[in-house]
Amino acid sequence: MSLPSIVFALVVLPAVLGGILSLLTRASLRNAIVVIGGVLVAVASVVSVVAFGGADGTFFGLPGNVTLGQSLLVVDVGLTALVVAFAVKHRRILAPILALAQLGIAVYLEVAGRLPEPDPQRLFWVDRLSMVMILVIGLIGPLICINAIGYMRAYHRSNPMIEGRRTVFFSLLFVFLAAMFGLVVSNYLPLMLVFWEITTICSFLLIGYTRTDETIGYAFRALNMNLLGGLGFGLAIVLLSNQPGGLDLALLTHSPAAGALLPAVALLAFAGITKSAQMPFSSWLIGAMYAPSPTSALLHSSTMVKAGVFLLLRLSPAMSGSTVGYLVAFVGLLTFLFVSLVAVTEQNTKKVLAYSTIGSLGLIVGCAGIGTPELAWVGVMIIIFHALAKSLLFLMVGTIENRLYTKNMENFDALLSLMPRVSALFLIGISGMFIAPFGIAIAKWTAIRAFLAVPGPAGAAMILIMAFGSSLTIFYWGKLLIKVLSARRQSDYERSIENRVSRYEWFTEGLLALGVLAATACVGLISDHVVGPYALAAFSATPRVFLAIDPAILLVMLSATLLLPLIGVISWLSPTYDQADFYASGRSANVGHVMGAALGGIKRVTLRNYYLDGVINGGLVFRAGTVACGAVLAAMVATSMVIR
Amino acid sequence: MNPAIYALGFVVFAPVLGGLLAGVDRIVSARMQGRVGPPLLQPFYDVGKLLQKRTRQINPIAEPLLIAHLGYMAATGALLLGGTDLIFTVFVFALAALLLVLAAGSANSPFSFAGAERELVVLLASEPFFILMMVAICKVTGASTFEGVLASSQLVAVQLPGVLLAFLLVATIKLRKSPFDISISHHPHQELVSGLTSDMSGRLLAYVELAHWYESALLCAFMVLLFNWSVPVGVLAFAVAYALEVLVDNATSRIKWQLVLRSTWAATLLLCGGNLLALFVMGR
Repeated sequence: MSLPSIVFALVVLPAVLGGILSLLTRASLRNAIVVIGGVLVAVASVVSVVAFGGADGTFFGLPGNVTLGQSLLVVDVGLTALVVAFAVKHRRILAPILALAQLGIAVYLEVAGRLPEPDPQRLFWVDRLSMVMILVIGLIGPLICINAIGYMRAYHRSNPMIEGRRTVFFSLLFVFLAAMFGLVVSNYLPLMLVFWEITTICSFLLIGYTRTDETIGYAFRALNMNLLGGLGFGLAIVLLSNQPGGLDLALLTHSPAAGALLPAVALLAFAGITKSAQMPFSSWLIGAMYAPSPTSALLHSSTMVKAGVFLLLRLSPAMSGSTVGYLVAFVGLLTFLFVSLVAVTEQNTKKVLAYSTIGSLGLIVGCAGIGTPELAWVGVMIIIFHALAKSLLFLMVGTIENRLYTKNMENFDALLSLMPRVSALFLIGISGMFIAPFGIAIAKWTAIRAFLAVPGPAGAAMILIMAFGSSLTIFYWGKLLIKVLSARRQSDYERSIENRVSRYEWFTEGLLALGVLAATACVGLISDHVVGPYALAAFSATPRVFLAIDPAILLVMLSATLLLPLIGVISWLSPTYDQADFYASGRSANVGHVMGAALGGIKRVTLRNYYLDGVINGGLVFRAGTVACGAVLAAMVATSMVIR
Repeated sequence: MNPAIYALGFVVFAPVLGGLLAGVDRIVSARMQGRVGPPLLQPFYDVGKLLQKRTRQINPIAEPLLIAHLGYMAATGALLLGGTDLIFTVFVFALAALLLVLAAGSANSPFSFAGAERELVVLLASEPFFILMMVAICKVTGASTFEGVLASSQLVAVQLPGVLLAFLLVATIKLRKSPFDISISHHPHQELVSGLTSDMSGRLLAYVELAHWYESALLCAFMVLLFNWSVPVGVLAFAVAYALEVLVDNATSRIKWQLVLRSTWAATLLLCGGNLLALFVMGR
């Protein structure tokens, strides 16, 4: 099969599946379609990689040389109508204004004839970065969809008050994937904007799934912020429409932007920053945590936020070396620092994961803004490893939450003895995210090395941010690990809860865990054959990364990855050991966590992690970060207008 | 010479150096307190005896965690001397330290847990410093390995006075000396019993002690990086610094974790950050 046809299949197939699913109300039939459809999407994405081979980049148009015509405008009108309908229903004012403003731009461009006819053979652009994204979306996305079958069943069982709307839910998941596929292969910017807006609407609907006042509020927050980003995207298109080849993403990002192109690049970067939930727009992703866990897994790993950093990485060569690029980088790096500070004060595991996502994305934004081949390499590496590990972690937290009825990490204690197999997978996810020498740590290390070459105070500031930010991540992951690994004697009831995890969850979570391990083992191959050549093609320079050259580093990385899961398995095999009770100043105590009180009777022992109360005020830090990053962002856009 | 031999040399001789240092420390501390003190080789006898003792455990995962703690601590030094990138070794160093925290926390008992949390705080306090120190050393010398720094004509300590001062402060944490010994202490009579190790016994304690010897040797190697005139100069500088640490240890009492975190971060930011900023601005 030729590359263009398989790429169209990737966009059309999930969209059609979404359409079919929206008509199915019978659960058994729906589950079957989700599983079969998911497998088809995964197969199609692998086939597309085979068809792609190792080319540097391929451009193509619609099949049969069909032109776009007015179709984009029609979709725009449809999306705007949808936003207006929901806004009227829930009495919101900001969202329809933003949506109508964007539609106004589209209509203006059309009526004024400002949009030049695009080259029909350059509507789509597929290169190695697109391929990385296609694999991330096509392999991880379907796993999340299949996992959701088991999760949603348990979710509605433990939350009987919430009205089940699973028909809509599964339909949206697949439409979301379709839009993401379309987004990462678009070369013509107005086309990309349409897919961009579809992802915004999908995430809005998914976040508001439970339709409580709280989640509707968060859904509209996400909608408003992302529509604002979309408006920036639209304005960039206006600025670019009278530039020759301006709306062609590959041409635009071919070399550092100058003159009239710079403000447009800045506005596109603004859109990317909103979508990747960087400060000051982080709150929408935190609010999205109240949605069911598969939604979080999808938003965080393979869709939505990854669209934002994808665009920023695309823009990276254009921002390279400019003040605009540096300011974009600082938005990302400051976000990384501020959310890491907030994360140490947070008890809700899903929120900790969310802050960690925003931080990792911040690192990618930082890398993309500076725009060197090394940092582009780092950015793509983080995309790959973060997608795998974070989707696994969210699904695991979902699985745990539906059995323990809590998301609070304080209640995760003794998880290893409570749910040993679940914990082993959870530990693989945590190792994947942060245990020192692993994908992301390698990325951090390479980033620090690259920042060393950034001259002047900017370089020093970036390294300071990295040093403090990485240390904070050790603190919040360490706390979670302590809880998971700790010991407590259990009742028979507690020991049986793991048996209630569905086979959908075991299958998908197991595969993701394998994916994490495989990616680590193959990090050298990924670098040599995918990410390295991508950076070379984007920047016309080979990235100087320190990887896989040193077998000692590779050994340490692999051993560290396997360490905690292996230790988990060792304890699961439960070798005999000399059992002791803990020391409690001479009082009787045992691992069941009761001890003799001073005046007779028994007391329960409760141990609570440190949240640095009194040293770090999470709310204050979050507001400070919002203000600081907002100021840098404003300066970024303003600078692009002033410096010509 | 082959860097692999340096690496092997560290794995074999670092515990000897660390153990002797602990012996000297105990004698000097005793003299400061008007006692005679134990024999020089007492730490070795202690570890030997611990290895023979009955080992009771609360959570069986503590043992593999501690073995890994020891292994990664040794590996950090081996990587450092074996010519691996300096900044990378700091990440392995942090992993090694984290494993001790997890081993202590796994007991899920009041004293161990409090010790583990506090150790996590001191890890948070000290980690930025080590990253910045290595970055600064790389920036000054243009090298990225241990050998490269020693071969460099740039004298590191002269250009990094701020980093050197901060090192003295942070080494207090890593050597578990007062006033920063909030998670575990060599001294009895404290509110946390023996903190991190409260629920460890027998060979588990031996692993912790051995790993600490490696850690001491590692700090010595860091000092050699800062005083890169030659290895003897670096070791001498470390001896002077250590003597200072022992004096401070005996002259101060421990402080609260909040103050540890604030003071270490402030020192790192001002001394290390300022030093680094100067380097970047001067375009080194």
